[in-house]
Amino acid sequence: MNVTSPAVEAFERERRRMLIRQRTQAFVGLAIFTVLLLVSFQRSQFFGSDIGADPLGRMADFLQRMNPGLQPDVLLEGRQTRGSLHSWFYALPTWLRAAWQTVEMAILATALGSVLALGASFLTAQNLMPFAPVRFVVRRILEAIRTLPDLIMALILVAAFGVGPLAGVLTLTISTLGGLGKLFAEINEEIDPRQLEALQAAGAGPLKKIRYGVMPQVLPNYASYALIRLEGNLAGAAALGIVGAGGIGLELQRAITYTEFDTYLAILLIIIGMIFVIDLFSENVRHRLIGLEKA
Amino acid sequence: MTRHAYDQALAIAPNALRAPWTRRARDAVILLLALAALVAMAVDLELAPGALMTGFGKLGRFLGEMFPPSSGGQSERILKALAETFAMAFAGTVIAALVALPLGVIGAKTVVSNPALHFAFRRFLDIFRGVPALVWALILVSAFGLGPFAGVVALALADIPNLAKLFSESLENADPKPLEGVRSAGAPPLAVMRFGLAPQFAPVATSQTLFFLEGNFRNAGVLGIVGAGGIGFELDERIRIFAFDEVAFIILLYMIAVACLDTLSRSLRNRLA
Repeated sequence: MNVTSPAVEAFERERRRMLIRQRTQAFVGLAIFTVLLLVSFQRSQFFGSDIGADPLGRMADFLQRMNPGLQPDVLLEGRQTRGSLHSWFYALPTWLRAAWQTVEMAILATALGSVLALGASFLTAQNLMPFAPVRFVVRRILEAIRTLPDLIMALILVAAFGVGPLAGVLTLTISTLGGLGKLFAEINEEIDPRQLEALQAAGAGPLKKIRYGVMPQVLPNYASYALIRLEGNLAGAAALGIVGAGGIGLELQRAITYTEFDTYLAILLIIIGMIFVIDLFSENVRHRLIGLEKA
Repeated sequence: MTRHAYDQALAIAPNALRAPWTRRARDAVILLLALAALVAMAVDLELAPGALMTGFGKLGRFLGEMFPPSSGGQSERILKALAETFAMAFAGTVIAALVALPLGVIGAKTVVSNPALHFAFRRFLDIFRGVPALVWALILVSAFGLGPFAGVVALALADIPNLAKLFSESLENADPKPLEGVRSAGAPPLAVMRFGLAPQFAPVATSQTLFFLEGNFRNAGVLGIVGAGGIGFELDERIRIFAFDEVAFIILLYMIAVACLDTLSRSLRNRLA
């Protein structure tokens, strides 16, 4: 015969209650998830949408058409020979020119955006900007910029500034301001306050404080972040071309419009190569900056 | 500081307050060269000040037209598009997580211990990790036609390699001690997974997936521009006809939705952590 003490009974009761609560929570979570999933599949017409007959076949066909059909024996022949490298990359000088434009767009936008972000970061850093409403307003503006997707900003700017690199540079400058402004402000808030106090004690004004108390501490970190941003801006600049903001993306868009899918692949390869080269360069510079910091 | 002390200090350390002129000259030359390079790039891109001015004039007019934002009597359609955007993001993320899970298990060093296989699999994922959702969408729209279906698949394809990598890393980082404990109690392999590994892995994986859901909601907003449905399509249409009051309405609504999802997801992730 089982003899159960009141303590054991209380424990069992407590345990059962916990188990029931856990299970209800799990059940409710699962139910919400399932409903969301079903609604999502229904809303996005995942199963119901008319994607035409044989979608996988069409995918395969698409990939097939991306194949430039290189022939090993005529690889180095002229442009007129089908299957040669030259006929695949038939407009290579134009594309390289567009790729270089994309690089220029990214560099210009990163430089301009970093300078603007520098100004914004001093306005939002708690230890440098004593006036709270200014901090609040600038911070909200930076947040708004970060929420707005680049491509949507680019669409509006292309409408205002016309098709071309100008709209792309401006878009990337603004989005760099939003991203770097926040990061720079965080760096500013983490600086050693003693140097600022020393300058303050010596009677330095706010500009002198920034120049001699902040800059020497933060410049290597700034440069490192700006270079990472440059990598991102390069990929961004390539994508922005799709909506008409200049550079190699325009060529990509053109290839799609004319359904030249082998050209699409060729331009995609150029973009990947371009991003790879800039990544290598920027990583190299960043490592040297960090090395300088240690020395 | 008195004048006298200042002179004394300067005599002891003449370079403390200003660098020697060679260094200053070098810095100035580097700065000038950098500026000249930037200007040359601007000239090469034909960024004319005149175009900038007229553009800003137009932009100012657009911004003026944005207020007050108006739904143009189509708020139902816009809300539907917003729901569709979220649906694309949610469906795409769930599909990506489901596919990435087995791939992540295969990619974990602790599961497939052969270094050559591990290396090959990781590099294979790396190739696709660089392709953004927008590029997938361009391809898929021409394969599957206009509509949200292409968007869902594009988001999923862009996420799968990234999520798989994160999943396999968190599997590798799992503490082996709980697994040994369950095993030493005589549990079969499946129970070892369930009671030793899953409690460590599930919260981390869920948190990562939620993070991708946030990113996908932002990406889904722009996929419509290339024809993959959702809010981007509505925006693109209205920008083309210069209906900027409606553009402002949609952008505001979208930004609020993004902020809501971010807050919700962050609080869920904090609870998991």
